[in-house]
Amino acid sequence: MTPGLEREDGSLRIRLMKGLVVSPLQLLGILVGIGLLFALPDIARSTENLPIRERPIYRGMVLGLAAVGLNLLLRHADLVSFGHAAFFGTGAYTTAILIQFYEIQSVLILIPMAIIAATLMAVLIGYFTLPHEGLYFALVTLAFGQLLYSIPRGIGELGGTDGLNVLAPSQPGTSVLDRFPRLGDIALTGSDIENSILFAVTIVVSLIMLLIMLRISKSPFGRALDAIGQQRTRARFLGLRVKRYVWAAFIISGFYGGVAGALYAIFFTSGVSPDETLQVFVSGDILYIAILGGFNTLTGPFIGGIIFEVLANIASDFELTGPGGTKEIGRMLTGIVLLIIVFVFPSGVVGSLKRGGKVREAGVDLKNDPSLIGPWLSQAASGTVAAAKRAVENVRILLLGVK
Amino acid sequence: MTLGIELLESSAFVLQGGFLDGVRTLLQPNTFVEQTINGLQRGLVLFLIASGLTVILGILDVLNLAHGELYALGAFIASSVAGYLIGSSGLMAPPTSFDPVMSFAFVGVLILVALITALIMLPIGAVVETTLIRPIYDRSQTYQLVLTFAILLIIADLLELIWGSQPIGASFASQQAVNDIPTFELIGFGNVPSLVAMIIVVSLLVGAALFWFFSRTKTGRIIRATAIDREMATALGVSPDRTFTLVFALGSFLAGFAGAMQFVRTNAQPGMGESALVLSFVVIVVGGLGSLRGAVVGAIIVGILENWMIVINPEFQTAAPFAVMVLILLVKPEGLFGTWGERT
Repeated sequence: MTPGLEREDGSLRIRLMKGLVVSPLQLLGILVGIGLLFALPDIARSTENLPIRERPIYRGMVLGLAAVGLNLLLRHADLVSFGHAAFFGTGAYTTAILIQFYEIQSVLILIPMAIIAATLMAVLIGYFTLPHEGLYFALVTLAFGQLLYSIPRGIGELGGTDGLNVLAPSQPGTSVLDRFPRLGDIALTGSDIENSILFAVTIVVSLIMLLIMLRISKSPFGRALDAIGQQRTRARFLGLRVKRYVWAAFIISGFYGGVAGALYAIFFTSGVSPDETLQVFVSGDILYIAILGGFNTLTGPFIGGIIFEVLANIASDFELTGPGGTKEIGRMLTGIVLLIIVFVFPSGVVGSLKRGGKVREAGVDLKNDPSLIGPWLSQAASGTVAAAKRAVENVRILLLGVK
Repeated sequence: MTLGIELLESSAFVLQGGFLDGVRTLLQPNTFVEQTINGLQRGLVLFLIASGLTVILGILDVLNLAHGELYALGAFIASSVAGYLIGSSGLMAPPTSFDPVMSFAFVGVLILVALITALIMLPIGAVVETTLIRPIYDRSQTYQLVLTFAILLIIADLLELIWGSQPIGASFASQQAVNDIPTFELIGFGNVPSLVAMIIVVSLLVGAALFWFFSRTKTGRIIRATAIDREMATALGVSPDRTFTLVFALGSFLAGFAGAMQFVRTNAQPGMGESALVLSFVVIVVGGLGSLRGAVVGAIIVGILENWMIVINPEFQTAAPFAVMVLILLVKPEGLFGTWGERT
């Protein structure tokens, strides 16, 4: 299966690698998408008017990477993990500890060590959560995440609630780039260049991780996970070693979390704190990123990460004044977006846009028959009225009983 | 290499020196009894929260992530209710010294505050269930986690919008009025405030009422029957919709009551819901999924352990409940008590 061209139903297909066959238009789309990703920091920097900042995009990409890992469990094995911050945080904290206490600066040591630590953590937590399914699985993973959250908070050496500093030693002329192996005697200075390079590295790593995930999900291993997700008992009768498969999937998703955590700690933050890396809200973010992007797609969680963080950043500019004073309502707006996702676009952003998705189909229908817009609007209106009537009826029954 | 050494030192601390010293301090009779009583109080409030969560989980099959925020909402509502009822313009002002009639009447007013709060929570819970949660019962469980988390985020911001981001404490005068009543002083443990006694007694009464409700009343039996076999219950004429709404409203009632108790004991503050939610999860795992008995035992274990850890070594206070949870998962993964329904 070498890369090349092939024909399928009379149309041209380009085979990039095993399991990745696309049409020319799709290839163009992928290339444009990747190009856009690389250009994001420059776009963000060049305009003051666009509500896009660099930081949220960085954070969104690394959280998106963690969500890609989580999605292996969610999409294939039908397991909702609510404690993925555990692996993200383990990766971040391992990096921070190595920098702080062992004065290791090279990414060639930092990243592998962070991945090893996060993977070992996944082996351990996976072992305890294996017997559980469904909501109980979510509950147990959440509790483990919270256990890890309370450890650095309790241990003074690990910085307590303030966390650990991960900045490179602040001598003049040093930068995060010193952590990379020197290829030549190239002088790289200036924070813009630095940021762009770190950004590019993150994108390359993410693309590689996405390709690995693509191979995993199309491999016999991925198919077995699918079977387990659909019907555990049946999968067991078919001779699959369910627990081993689930454990392996859990460990792989922990691996992804570790990569994300290491990237976050090395590149994009000045310090690693429990609230930013290990808290239950971080676990929640990782899960919702996967769902926002579309958990039935490969790239959805990654793109969802960027969308989520950019939206959250925009939302944090909004303020509302109530009896308790003026306050940012970022969390509330995030909540409302999640409500919309649940009720209107359950297959997520990428899931709705791809072929067969809700938005895509609606667009095709509209193109074929523009007059559809009238019935749609009246449908939406009558639907809203009906929902309101139902709500009133429910409240009436609650208050007065069935008459 | 300093961290390695420090970690060695801290494990050495755990094995000998400090930890054992802490245990020795705890085992002094007075300290031990006082911390255990405080832990019992904390555990009983936790039970009120976790029982709602566990019943909702057992019957609706919904892991309500917003439950902690309902508890926080209860605490804030209680602060407003207390503002109306307590004081010279309200029902009664806190008595300044111990007086058998007035002091106990004031305790009655505090319980009234909690009851009114819980009654306000009842329709709130019912509306949340009917409008938001009901449409997604037949969809993947992933969505209910997203949905309840969205509700959590919205309530968390609403709380700060309405009541501000500063903690609101019960007035010192009203706490003092309860503490003036001699309770633990009579048996020689003067360090434990009488508020703790009040909360223990009230929570025990509510807990007992809950067990009575589920084992003796028709509605309670219907709820349990629905938990055991939803289809059969429906076939026998039980409306699952109404049962679900009732259960969710009941859970909100209990969370609101617990919030009011916590407000009276310390204060209402943003962020209190999150830790309560996570500790309730520990209680459910320790006690067993959907088991009310398990929730009692689990909550008391968690509460007492937390308070013991304050004396032994405060650094491990937050980690200790999770350590117990891991232990239970290793030894008895299904929790101390099995599935609820057949027995209360």
